[in-house]
Amino acid sequence: MTSPAAISTPRSPLSLIAEVTHRCPLHCLYCSNPLEMQRAEAELTTEDWTRVFKQAAEMGFLHLHLTGGEPLARRDLPELIRAGREAGLYVNMITSGVGMTEERLAGLVEAGLEHLQLSFQDIEEASANHIAGTRAHAIKLALVPVLKRYPLAFTINLVVHRMNLDHLEEFIALAEDLHPDRLEIAHVQYYGWALKNRALLMPTEEQVERSIPIVEAAKERLRGKIHVEAVFPDYFGSFPKACVGGWGRQMMLIDPAGQALPCHSAAVIPGMVFDNVREHDLEWIWKCSSAFNRFRGDDWMSPTCQACPRKEKDFGGCRCQAFLMTGDPNAIDPVCSLSPDHDLLKDLRVSKPEVLPIWRG
Amino acid sequence: MELNSTPRLAPGCRLHPTDSVLLIPEGTLNLTGPSREILSMLDGKRTVSDVVTALVQQYEDVDEKEIGEDVLSLLNRLQQRGVLRVGA
Repeated sequence: MTSPAAISTPRSPLSLIAEVTHRCPLHCLYCSNPLEMQRAEAELTTEDWTRVFKQAAEMGFLHLHLTGGEPLARRDLPELIRAGREAGLYVNMITSGVGMTEERLAGLVEAGLEHLQLSFQDIEEASANHIAGTRAHAIKLALVPVLKRYPLAFTINLVVHRMNLDHLEEFIALAEDLHPDRLEIAHVQYYGWALKNRALLMPTEEQVERSIPIVEAAKERLRGKIHVEAVFPDYFGSFPKACVGGWGRQMMLIDPAGQALPCHSAAVIPGMVFDNVREHDLEWIWKCSSAFNRFRGDDWMSPTCQACPRKEKDFGGCRCQAFLMTGDPNAIDPVCSLSPDHDLLKDLRVSKPEVLPIWRG
Repeated sequence: MELNSTPRLAPGCRLHPTDSVLLIPEGTLNLTGPSREILSMLDGKRTVSDVVTALVQQYEDVDEKEIGEDVLSLLNRLQQRGVLRVGA
């Protein structure tokens, strides 16, 4: 029997995701943060983050993504941005805009912010606010013309799911009128709080199919004006996604308390031990942390995955999803048609009776 | 994009200080051959012609028309990708 060659060792990492706080004025039904969030008292200091950014740049990381929670909840945000830029990183920030003023924005841009991402929840204010769990829609709309006066890249994220996918055309038109540089159309991924609301948010297969030509038409129409990227839900695929570009290959996430994770939801997997940037430098964590090594290579894979040439492309799919759906973190990602549990996905693709939202406190 | 256009990198797009990489929102573009040098000349004031002239002076035995076409082709692709802005 011939088996494909072992998976190549990871190149130097690319993206550092800095969850600078879990505090957030929004309570989105699809929040991807862990169910157990870090408290404000446990957050890393400005000095901690500055050290982490320097170490990251020295290791070859290119992009820093400041996220949360709401990064604006940190009063030292300009210092964090400046520290990222001075280290040599490209600085992006993902924000709800709640708490932003023109004065604060000017300070962030002056500190070196290069890209800002703002998400929208729906076309109508009432519905958008319902999904965000707070009155944020009008604030976001009002922020855009201010943003456009500053020299930074601006991305609009449309977060789509069953409740808004049927008016995707109008949703794209709303984004278009706001003239972003980039437009991301991203399906909810079912981790964290979103998994609690999966029965409410998961679109039907028909909805997803209807949305595909709409996205393709928008890409064509906006070419050269707005760069459109679309992330389709892997629940509707036959092969798994290369989650986070492969476990421990491209991405490192630091949570507000300094724990280093290979992905947003790695903490759901039993037995994971996360090392902390307060005790170790980033290079040691990247190379030696048991959490980062756990699903590298192919030793952990099922014989089916080990023998599959696609392992070079999808690295065995998503470990968190495999665990959340089958109870076994080493299982074949059930999105894969070769998984014995693939029928679980088929059940999820059909429409469900109306269910009620579960709100994050 | 024309020879008298004055392109510049779009906001949020910049050259990596040492590597042949263009840093863009949510990604990177690898720059091959003289692409990095070409992009480093774009400041919103220089025309595409100015860039071509500079390249012709720098490299011997090159055809100006051919270089002009190559530069326009590169810049058009980058404009389509949304990482260049073009003035008149």
